[in-house]
Amino acid sequence: MKAKTRAFCGGYRFRNFEATPEDRLTSVGIPSTVTITLMQGFSNEVPCLVQLGDTVKAGQIIGRDDETVSSPVHASVNGKVVKMKKLAYLGNEAASITISSDGTEAWQKLEGCNARWEILTADQIEKLVYLSGASGAGRAGIPTRFKSSIIDGDKVEHVIVHGVESEMYGPLSATLLKGQRLSQFADGLRILKKMLGGAAFHVVLNAERTELIADVSGAFADNEWVCVRGLEPRYPADYDEVLVHAVLNKSMRGGHLAANVGVIVLDIQDVIQVYEAVAEGKPVIERTVAMCGRGFTDHPHARVRIGTPLEHLAAGNVRQGKNWRFLRNSALTGERFAEMTQPIDRNCDAVIAVHENDGREMFAFVRPGARKDSYSPTFLSKVFGKVLTKRGETNLHGEERPCIFCGFCDEICPAGLMPHHLFHHVERNIIDETLLRFKIYDCNECNLCAYVCPSKIPLGRYIKEGKNKLISEGLHPVRPH
Amino acid sequence: MKPVRLLLDKLYEIPALARFKPVIGAADAILYGTNETTHAAPHVVDNIDIKRYMILVIVALLPAVAAAYLSFGWRIIAIIMVSYIAGGAVEVIFAIIRKHDIHEGFLITGLIFPLVLPPTVPLWVVAVGVVFGTMFGKEMFGGTGRNIFNPALVGRLFITLAVPGIMTMYWQTPFASGPDAITSATPLTTYKSTAQAAVVNPAIVKEGTTQVLFTNPYAVKRAIHNYDSQFDGVEVYCLGGPAYKMAANHRRIGPDNAVRMVSYADLLIGKEPGSMGETFRLAVIAGGIFLIVLRISNWRIPVSYILTVLAFGAIGHFFLPAKIAPPLFQVLAGGLLFGAFFMATDPITSPFTKAGKYVFGISCGVLTVLIRSFSGYVEGVMFSIVIMNAFSPLIDQIVLRFKYRPVKA
Repeated sequence: MKAKTRAFCGGYRFRNFEATPEDRLTSVGIPSTVTITLMQGFSNEVPCLVQLGDTVKAGQIIGRDDETVSSPVHASVNGKVVKMKKLAYLGNEAASITISSDGTEAWQKLEGCNARWEILTADQIEKLVYLSGASGAGRAGIPTRFKSSIIDGDKVEHVIVHGVESEMYGPLSATLLKGQRLSQFADGLRILKKMLGGAAFHVVLNAERTELIADVSGAFADNEWVCVRGLEPRYPADYDEVLVHAVLNKSMRGGHLAANVGVIVLDIQDVIQVYEAVAEGKPVIERTVAMCGRGFTDHPHARVRIGTPLEHLAAGNVRQGKNWRFLRNSALTGERFAEMTQPIDRNCDAVIAVHENDGREMFAFVRPGARKDSYSPTFLSKVFGKVLTKRGETNLHGEERPCIFCGFCDEICPAGLMPHHLFHHVERNIIDETLLRFKIYDCNECNLCAYVCPSKIPLGRYIKEGKNKLISEGLHPVRPH
Repeated sequence: MKPVRLLLDKLYEIPALARFKPVIGAADAILYGTNETTHAAPHVVDNIDIKRYMILVIVALLPAVAAAYLSFGWRIIAIIMVSYIAGGAVEVIFAIIRKHDIHEGFLITGLIFPLVLPPTVPLWVVAVGVVFGTMFGKEMFGGTGRNIFNPALVGRLFITLAVPGIMTMYWQTPFASGPDAITSATPLTTYKSTAQAAVVNPAIVKEGTTQVLFTNPYAVKRAIHNYDSQFDGVEVYCLGGPAYKMAANHRRIGPDNAVRMVSYADLLIGKEPGSMGETFRLAVIAGGIFLIVLRISNWRIPVSYILTVLAFGAIGHFFLPAKIAPPLFQVLAGGLLFGAFFMATDPITSPFTKAGKYVFGISCGVLTVLIRSFSGYVEGVMFSIVIMNAFSPLIDQIVLRFKYRPVKA
């Protein structure tokens, strides 16, 4: 099927950055301890089911709550609960459980799984998906009768699975779908189809990976309810707002989740987890994480147990001699790992190590910059972009200055907003209906405006602050009834 | 460079110099760049900064500066230095009082301002103009990013009104330097004074006519082929080579009359008098396109500005040839190209909405033609841009009202 690949204005292609992950899969083994937060992704925190000193098995449910929107949390290794404490997690504080591992790889199978999943009923499948924790995927989860998502199963009209690879650093869809994982992925989607019978399924991949698109299309040759298509890998093409607009030509009102318009957005791994849960009885205890950035000497995709501390993942793989900043999932929006002991969680698909560059550079502003990325064509990297890789590092590259209305943020905004205009309102503390009028809630917080700003103004942070202040004044985004 | 680094670090520590931290910081940042890192997301940011942004505008102006140096001699360098020193002092004083860094925007004001002055301008006038422009055009409004009018134009406007003699009388002819440098009228002045005193594109040149202006070869042809035309003792002005060739070579005009030409080619390569930066128009066009390609200036304003002058000039010239000059002449003469590429595009003082940029460019074009044709002034670029600067916030508000409908309560 031939569809238009450019579906939104603005956005930015991060081309040819250094140390992007390679098409290779390794395993980092079982860590000596894992730390698992009882809040995973968007879920509410679940009550703990184990006590200090308990012996747990990998795959055993250690936290579960069927009353609030959440999915069960599992122990990811065999061992003993050694510590329970509060941990900073995605801006909140969440209870966490530390398990010291006995080093064995075995895990506990879910009851009722069946390699011939076709004979299972929809109810049985639903239960397996919920108990495995696979239902906690994405930004809104997969609906089951156990309240695992904010949306009801019968209201799901579309399921979008994305792997457009639009981030500066992120996993390769081809690696995630290599070999037998492609057929597992295909079966995963068929299982979801059985669960969510009324929904149409869309797989959105990088339009430039024609081979992969052909392979995936081939896997769904007999399933006319799946539509495989390519999208230009322009950041933020992997965002829900952009996907919903590109695939369904439907725009989401400001502040809505995809679920509010009957859409579930999942990534490739989420679908494979569904297959593993139903056909193999494997709970979500592992995740494939792309190791990106110059801070790592080797850049494979690593299979890690959930809760593995970063130091175990990075052991022996960190380049010496420089300071590195470790980021979770995204160089533009991700949180930083404050300590090497912080764990990998269920929603992690990339760990990025970029140079903490506080070094000064002489006459930086007149250098040709063959390896410096910029939205404006003022660096030689625009010419040599295909030959030389670009550096990703944390230097601010300039001083913060007043806004000069250069219009870069305006042109690049994928939501069609005027970030500088919103910034001026928030900066002057004008928090009222005018912000609603300028569609502040349409902002999907992709942070591209702050990326391109030559005055180095953290526009994204100001807009977020504006949203928070609006909410505290009672001006919420309009939710559908 | 290590001693310099050590010196800078020492300077930071001297308590007596604490007030001059902006100056030391500016030197430091220019030499060594920044050591700041991003605090939170986005962790990796674009490499462009305001220094590079501004320095590229200067690069785009360099051909025009070089041409000005070749046409008018060393004096232009002195003028630019006076402008930078006097205006820079104002910028530094305000940075010290306000305790913020020195902003780079002045690098452009300080260079654009001398380029829109006549080459014979006295140095003290340059200093007065740039100080006034920076102080009342920018700092009084709150500094970079808050000014309503283009500071360079405020300065020029001030000295146009304060010392009118200097600004309108002495226009040095390019490539003629020395103590007795020749001065002459600018092409726009020629058109205005001639067109008002004489017949433009007449079909019959009657007896008693003293001056005739032909703007195209067809007009010449018509007048020549009408055998009632009397060319004895008539001064003939021609715009462009073809009209000139036809008039000068014709046996009824050429031998007995003074035939003068304003050549489009001369306008392009800077042989006609004008302000320092605007005469070599090829350099101005090249610089303007360079900035548009680098996305530093937006194409919408210059394109709509120039197209409007072309269109409005064509219509106006068709109906009122004695008042309104032909379109191509309007575009190439005077400061239009320089103004359209380097001053109307100033992002701070022009509208930030896309539709607003078109409105701004079109209005500037219409105003320029009107002021040039119907006012007492010969040139209208500066006035039109300053007037539209004042309207840009209003234009933006109106565009935003259409783009973002008010929310229903």
